[in-house]
Amino acid sequence: MEPNDAAVVFAGVSVSRSGLSILENVTAAVPRNSCTVIVGPNGAGKTTLLLALIGEVSCRGDIRMGMGRDGAPLRLGYVPQRLSLDRGMPLTVEEFLVMGLQRRPLWLGVRPELRERSLTLLASVKAEHLARRRLGALSGGELQRVLLALALQQEPELLVLDEPSAGVDFQGEHLFCELLDELRVRRGFTQLMVSHDLGMVVHHATHVICLKRGVVAEGPPAAVLTPETLTALFGLHMGVMAGQAGGIGGEARHV
Amino acid sequence: MFDLTPLYNVVGLLPFDCLQPQFMRQALTALLLLAPMTATLGVQVVGFRMAFFSDAISHSAFAGVALGLLFAVDPHLSMPLFGILVGLGIMAVRRHSDLSSDTVIGVFFSAVMAFGLAVVSRNNAVARDLQQFLYGDILTITETDIGWLLVLFVFLMAFQVWGYNRLLYIGLNPIIARAHRIRVGLCQYLFAGLLALVVMFSVWAVGVLLVTAMLIVPAATARNLARTAGGMFWWAILASMSSAVIGLVLSAQEWMGTASGATIILVSCGWFAGSLVATFLRGDRGR
Repeated sequence: MEPNDAAVVFAGVSVSRSGLSILENVTAAVPRNSCTVIVGPNGAGKTTLLLALIGEVSCRGDIRMGMGRDGAPLRLGYVPQRLSLDRGMPLTVEEFLVMGLQRRPLWLGVRPELRERSLTLLASVKAEHLARRRLGALSGGELQRVLLALALQQEPELLVLDEPSAGVDFQGEHLFCELLDELRVRRGFTQLMVSHDLGMVVHHATHVICLKRGVVAEGPPAAVLTPETLTALFGLHMGVMAGQAGGIGGEARHV
Repeated sequence: MFDLTPLYNVVGLLPFDCLQPQFMRQALTALLLLAPMTATLGVQVVGFRMAFFSDAISHSAFAGVALGLLFAVDPHLSMPLFGILVGLGIMAVRRHSDLSSDTVIGVFFSAVMAFGLAVVSRNNAVARDLQQFLYGDILTITETDIGWLLVLFVFLMAFQVWGYNRLLYIGLNPIIARAHRIRVGLCQYLFAGLLALVVMFSVWAVGVLLVTAMLIVPAATARNLARTAGGMFWWAILASMSSAVIGLVLSAQEWMGTASGATIILVSCGWFAGSLVATFLRGDRGR
């Protein structure tokens, strides 16, 4: 891959915390406009790699961010796994979306044009009916879409999602991934996410990075998700599932 | 510092006989300046889960006064300065260490408390003033103190205009806030510094033991009554200012004869109980 085709290049990235090595010499690339998924077992350092990318965790090595349309580094949007929110906190979805845009403090009210804008944004993630609801009263799937709307508000060129499917049922997750695919094509951003759901990866990813402290394999899902790689990644216990995933991967190759 | 007579005259318009003496008007003026500050900061203290933080700062009041005596500095100066130092110190350690924040605060808490008590136990002159810090003494507040409160009030309200949305963002998830280009560090340090100052002033008013209540109780009430984050701000102010007036007036009645700080907190706890009933009657917890 040509370096200027990459949205992000990780070059020899290592992270250790209190003497324990979490990531070792990770070298990988995220192609522009791709849906790149980082897969790996628990504790493989998937989330740490994302945090290093957005500058939350200091690392050795080099993370090169591609150039955006305006010549500056790619504009980031970040969707976290969860919020630290009490259910009782009186914060409406609308206020949540406006708080990062509006200079005027929320206690002086929400400006009408920003209210419009947040409704449009919610409509784009099919959640316009949630505008007046309390953030703490949303279900996992609803909250996920609102968090996506918040990230989209940044007009991201690189959208980073940390295990967006945690706490959502299979159906909800599938719909969420469809929505992301649609948005990615329409808005033209690069999507980088963490997942340990191989079914999702096979259906939606265009590029896969298999991570277990270091990169085990990298490439298109059909080429990467072989029984050998999955056994290396998840260990013997995953043998059966690895066989299945390999089967699906095999089909994908024929398409 | 300023001529505060117009302010006292406005306060004197309230229809209570007990507000005729000058010291009562001064006390109420100070409380009416302090209450909105603690109430609005309280909204964020609750959002950040920092009740213990404000406790630690209020308990550093002893050490602040003790330091003032050691170095012959006016306690009115050494106490707030030391409070800011403790506040910023806790924030710095909390941001740069893997320890959980209640552990960090616990360590600071013990250190400042032990230091304060050590100095106080050596020096009888401070020991005499100790009670004033434990229970607070709003009735002896000086004109200069009120002047400083006024300055702090203007600063704090400007900060709330600038920072309310930002702090809300950070309270929900500092990582998104940072990824979306909010200067998290600056906001947190400014918040810690201002909170420390306000807490120190509140120590004069209600005493070390009840400072946290000034911050938490109105905010908790507001959380129950408000339907939006913007509304929470106003409910907190309403609850705290009305508690201040009612509490002070009640404590001045002959048949009450209670400490004003404690009475104010009791009234605001009454507000909280009412808000619980309101939530219960509305029957829509979580919606």
